[in-house]
Amino acid sequence: MSEPKNINEGHRAGAYGSVKQLKVAAISAKYQKDWFKSIQERLAKGEPFCLANADAPHEIFLAMDDIPVVMTQWWSAIIAAKQMAGYYFDEMNAKGYPRNLCRYCALPLACAMDHNPERAPWGGLPNPSILLAQLSCDIQTKIFERLAGEYNCKFFPMEYPAPAPSYPRWWETLETRWEEIVGTRALDLRVEELKALIRYLEVTTGRVFNYKNFVEIMELENQQEEYFKKIRNLLSVTRPSPVGLPDQLAATMNLQWHRGTKWGVEHAKLFYEEVKEKVDKGEAVCKDEKVRLMWIGRGLWHNTAFYRYFEEKYGAVFTNSMYLSIAADGYIRDYRTDPMRALASRHLYMGYWLRDPQWQLNEAKRYGVNGAVMIVASNCIDSVGNMFIKMVLEQGGIPVLPIYADVVDAREWDDEGIKAQVSQFIEQRCMAR
Amino acid sequence: MGPLEKMKDQYTQRDSAARAWKKQGGKVVGYLSDDAPDEMILAAGLFPFRMSGNPAEGTEEVDKYSESFYDPSVRSILNMLLTGKYDFLDFIIIPHHSDAVLKLYHQLWWIHQVNPAVNFPPVHVFDILHTPFLTTALYVRESLLNLKSKLQEWSGRKIDIKALSRAIAVGNENKALLKKVAELRVAEQPRVSGVEALQMIGSAGFMLKEEHNKLLKEFLDGASTLPEKDGVRIFMEGSDLDNPEIYKLVESSGAVIVAEDSNWGNRYFEDPVDETADPMEALADRYHARSSRPRTQSSAQKVAYTVRRALEAKAQGAIFYLLEWDPAPAWDEPDQIKALKAEGIASLSFGPQKYLLSDSDQKNIKAGIQGFIETLREGRKEGLK
Repeated sequence: MSEPKNINEGHRAGAYGSVKQLKVAAISAKYQKDWFKSIQERLAKGEPFCLANADAPHEIFLAMDDIPVVMTQWWSAIIAAKQMAGYYFDEMNAKGYPRNLCRYCALPLACAMDHNPERAPWGGLPNPSILLAQLSCDIQTKIFERLAGEYNCKFFPMEYPAPAPSYPRWWETLETRWEEIVGTRALDLRVEELKALIRYLEVTTGRVFNYKNFVEIMELENQQEEYFKKIRNLLSVTRPSPVGLPDQLAATMNLQWHRGTKWGVEHAKLFYEEVKEKVDKGEAVCKDEKVRLMWIGRGLWHNTAFYRYFEEKYGAVFTNSMYLSIAADGYIRDYRTDPMRALASRHLYMGYWLRDPQWQLNEAKRYGVNGAVMIVASNCIDSVGNMFIKMVLEQGGIPVLPIYADVVDAREWDDEGIKAQVSQFIEQRCMAR
Repeated sequence: MGPLEKMKDQYTQRDSAARAWKKQGGKVVGYLSDDAPDEMILAAGLFPFRMSGNPAEGTEEVDKYSESFYDPSVRSILNMLLTGKYDFLDFIIIPHHSDAVLKLYHQLWWIHQVNPAVNFPPVHVFDILHTPFLTTALYVRESLLNLKSKLQEWSGRKIDIKALSRAIAVGNENKALLKKVAELRVAEQPRVSGVEALQMIGSAGFMLKEEHNKLLKEFLDGASTLPEKDGVRIFMEGSDLDNPEIYKLVESSGAVIVAEDSNWGNRYFEDPVDETADPMEALADRYHARSSRPRTQSSAQKVAYTVRRALEAKAQGAIFYLLEWDPAPAWDEPDQIKALKAEGIASLSFGPQKYLLSDSDQKNIKAGIQGFIETLREGRKEGLK
């Protein structure tokens, strides 16, 4: 076990890479960092703060006079980008937790167990007043119960009813037919839970949920996601690709954490305008683009520079990933009949749909990719089923390379070996197409 | 053949009773885990059959569709479905017991999508959720009503209250009898080994409960003449084990397993259904809120459960045995070990182990167990994990 290296060297300053070609990516990354630092000041004034999983409804907190919410997966990405995951996991393993446990969702816990804000990125995570997660896997309870112990706060779990295996081309009708696609029973339960959450927050924080503001938040969120849809649609048909994956990730995700705000809409608009300008000017990541690749799975947060390596070597560009695509296809809701129910429908099965092989195939075809690289973390139950993505894409004519690695823990990352695998894949299966 | 041998036989030839039932024109419902109310299946006039994996069955077919890092016992069930080993099942109930079990539902669906030539029996998901709260209790209650409708559809007959009450009574008797077997294990001089206990408990899922109760009664009638079991008293913790291989290794190393935390072991028969309440309400309450349900227990409750059960069994040591790709129990292990140690119970922890143990795996595991047993014998508890 050793002290982490490069803690403050900042060669990868943010979770989504330090070198930003898109202005909006740099602006949103700075905004997110400043926002994070402001939480400390707000907490010092006695404000509440929530740590939640990425599929939790932060809109609720926004409608309660903007209670700040930090997403565990974002925090994992930050820790990973600072190259500190290995250190925290070594420490956690030394406490008796086996090395093969899940990492992406567990990294904030490993960091919390260290109880050393000076060592942690950006001065560490403030102590939350509440933890929130839907129990979309067996391990969420394990992680969040322990986080509650480390932070001495309450964990509010939300159920995860069994999702239907698939709904044909859900992405085309989800905006309006969400009741049918998500399912009435699951929605009934989730609405009850959201109301219980609101009452709990009202009682414990003294704040009141503002329904009028909530409806506005739902509207702003739709507007923001409509820009993402326009961006996705534009990028998917533009050749050569004008924006690389690291920039897409940075701009999309940093804006997503502020969805439902005017700032989010304004900057999503800026994102679109910047992409459009690049398209109009004919700018490209790789002028001589030879291969278009899709990235399947979570971002490689400990090494976003990885994506760029293949541009120079082959003219192979990672054109798309699930992050922008789900922003385009998974968030927008016709909320007019029942905004709370529409909100419930947004988060329940988003994680499940991200792994829908038919949706992945649709996105692969939309972008016209020559192949897909699929990152598979064997420590995460969500990776079970990835073989069907591979089968469906390959049946649809898209070759797929699975690479077995963790997205936040670089301890077992074999940079040369994996670059060699991807290189071989590009040469033998993608360039020939 | 005595009652114990008959139960061992059922445990080994797991499909024999179900196949015999089917041969007589009956229908068989396969289900996974201890989260499916087999009382209701029985009340519908169907044969409830608990599905299990088998390490010896291999993984050739499942390897075509499923990642290797998937719970090996569920994966084995999937392999057996693909290879026709479960061709006697008319229907399958998949409870939302764990991610791995629920994934089976999605795996079956997607296998058929990518290879329409592969078909499975009709599947119903019993969506039994996991928090202890009222909203969940009401949801589970509705899931139970949906299950009832599905079983009625499958069987073509109504599930009446009398039949359900009778099935609950038979199930409760089974639980009570198995509890008596457990008492024989925790006695000062145990008269039932851990392997025998697994076989007796496990066979309850492979045969009709009334038949199983007869065998248990017969067995218990002769219990006072059973030979005493010698050995260091061990509590088993970790993954739910659908086969006795690790128990055999432990008990051939000078130990006797006096209790365990497993739904193939003692957890199976804890918490009877309340026979004084409305049968449907009682079933919903038992299956959702039973105190022995790991997924509903908090980690603190799970740790307390382990310590309480180990102390009741007068265990001298605890062995933590985890299957690979079954991460949930591993999260509680550090706290369980600490809490057991505080009570003077030392632990031996094996990292994730393969479902099918090679000869060298077995040799290594056995060497570890023997060393642990020897240390316990010598009373050198300090220094153990």
